[in-house]
Amino acid sequence: MSSSSFISIENVVKTFGAFTAIDGISLGIGQGEFFSLLGPSGCGKSTLLRMLAGFETPDSGRILLDGADVTEIPAHRRPTNMMFQSYALFPHLTVRKNIAFGLVQDRVDRAEIGKRIAEVAEKLHLEPMLERKPAQLSGGQRQRVALARALVKRPKVLLLDEPLGALDKNLRLQTQHELVRLQKELGLTFIIVTHDQHEAMTVSSRIAIMKQGKVLQIGTPEAVYETPSSRYVAKFLGETNIYEGVAGERDGESIALDSDEAGGRLLGQRIDGVRPGDRVWLSVRPERIELRPSGEGLPGTIEDVSYIGAERRYWLRLESGAMLEALRINHGLGDDFAVGDPVVARWDARAAHLLTE
Amino acid sequence: MKTPTRFGRALLILPPYLWLLVFFLAPFALVMAISLSEVRLGMPPYTPLFSRDGLVLSFRLNFENYAFLLRDDIYVRAYLSSVKIAVISTFITLLVAYPLAYGISRASDRWRPILVFLVIVPFWSSLLIRVYSWIGILRNDGLLNWLLLKLGVISSPLAIMNTETAIYIGIVYTYLPFMVLPIYSALSGADETLVEAARDLGCSPFAAFWRVTFPLSLSGVAAGCALVLIPAIGEFVIPDLLGGADTQMIGRTIWLEFFNNRDWPIASAITVILLAILVVPIIAVQSRLARTRM
Repeated sequence: MSSSSFISIENVVKTFGAFTAIDGISLGIGQGEFFSLLGPSGCGKSTLLRMLAGFETPDSGRILLDGADVTEIPAHRRPTNMMFQSYALFPHLTVRKNIAFGLVQDRVDRAEIGKRIAEVAEKLHLEPMLERKPAQLSGGQRQRVALARALVKRPKVLLLDEPLGALDKNLRLQTQHELVRLQKELGLTFIIVTHDQHEAMTVSSRIAIMKQGKVLQIGTPEAVYETPSSRYVAKFLGETNIYEGVAGERDGESIALDSDEAGGRLLGQRIDGVRPGDRVWLSVRPERIELRPSGEGLPGTIEDVSYIGAERRYWLRLESGAMLEALRINHGLGDDFAVGDPVVARWDARAAHLLTE
Repeated sequence: MKTPTRFGRALLILPPYLWLLVFFLAPFALVMAISLSEVRLGMPPYTPLFSRDGLVLSFRLNFENYAFLLRDDIYVRAYLSSVKIAVISTFITLLVAYPLAYGISRASDRWRPILVFLVIVPFWSSLLIRVYSWIGILRNDGLLNWLLLKLGVISSPLAIMNTETAIYIGIVYTYLPFMVLPIYSALSGADETLVEAARDLGCSPFAAFWRVTFPLSLSGVAAGCALVLIPAIGEFVIPDLLGGADTQMIGRTIWLEFFNNRDWPIASAITVILLAILVVPIIAVQSRLARTRM
């Protein structure tokens, strides 16, 4: 791991009994990043976050924060603060006392506490509810109090465990942008755990995609979406069609692949290290597929349509028997297909991606 | 689900109210009435409140019993001593019960039911038998003194039996489960992530306990204290069997007035005042519980 990382996780392993939660993870996070740990439940993302907070100690490996080894430092002496999924607001204290809790513990003087609460309350629009108890707040308000309580301590790193999971969709979208704005404004390092790929894509500077205690790929949202390293990552981030085949010769920037599964010759963007005859997979996203009534391409029949308003989602049965999903913007020109229509599907070689695992 | 009708709701709460009316309110009204009558020889040993002379119904209220209780300081002292002993025993019970309840609430899933069961087990035998066995432990040639002498901790037997210390031991022992269970229930219902949040915000394990776990268990502490304090004030068996002649608790005073002096009106007046004293902590706890539920 590069020594310039603000946070580095080095060969960390953590087991609970027979279950390996973290199976040798190394990664580095820069100062001021908005970093996401993304994966299905049980992939180890929450355990990794709890290790950064100091609630779990790795069985082996090290965690460095701003140059200092914090592996064995308990939670209360770490310059990190966490926003819990359940918010974990203290029910017996008012909003003001909840926010002041960490400052009181650090023996910050009263005038300073008042000043900092006023600051954070203004930033998060909490002024009118400072004297209320958590039970008297809405879900969105509680979420902001939890955020304020963590931020008021000015941590070096803010850890967020599924911070928006309990909010309804509209509020969630709004809060995502709020979080990004706040993170830029404060220049803090945010590490967020989420299972929601849209959320990860919206807020993050980089995403680590995790599965069964391992990190499969790390990159910007664009990099992991456009050039997934495996079928798993391709399927986890957004929808995609994947067909197995045998790689052919390179043709400029593209490679053709013969796929029995799709029943034809498919074109995909070339990647390094693929040789003719290799077993490979082609991933093509639904929004990159063009459907026409006839012409060149993979022939099939529309088997199902779902109307989503802004777009229509088509499921085609290819002649090989495989399914293909395609997305079409609803232009409102009356050129839509109906169930049973014969169509051909085609795409540009640059729009499809070859995978070797 | 259908919302219950007003009639249905009334039907549901009727049995407990009837129970209270028949077995608590009616007897209490009788005691109240007797406390306002005068003592006399005969059966019943008090004068009737109502007398009928032809068509004229007259009734006389006699507050002399209450005045007498205030004049003779033996009763005032008995009340004060009861309250003192009950308050101190409640406090000691709390000190013993809290760590116990905390330990049980933090025990593993396998051990917790067993530990709770062990707390309840003493209820399976009679209170009287359990108090008598304390006599066997505490008396001068009892188990405790035998053990301490054998170990060489003391050179002559400790006189614990028939002292206030013996009463404290008896009350703390008897009422421990009433303190442990509500505190345990408050502690085990608390959200574990709140402690983590406190740790994350800079609290050492002890500070996290003191600032989060303890305040959140106060409803259990209040309930436990009420469950111990209220019966302890009127306790009769324990001071009678373990205490000395010089310790006058109010429960014993009532017994003496009823059965030795056969002065039912005075005994009833003592009882009414005892109830008035108990109402204060009961209301305090009720309002505290009502507030925490908000």
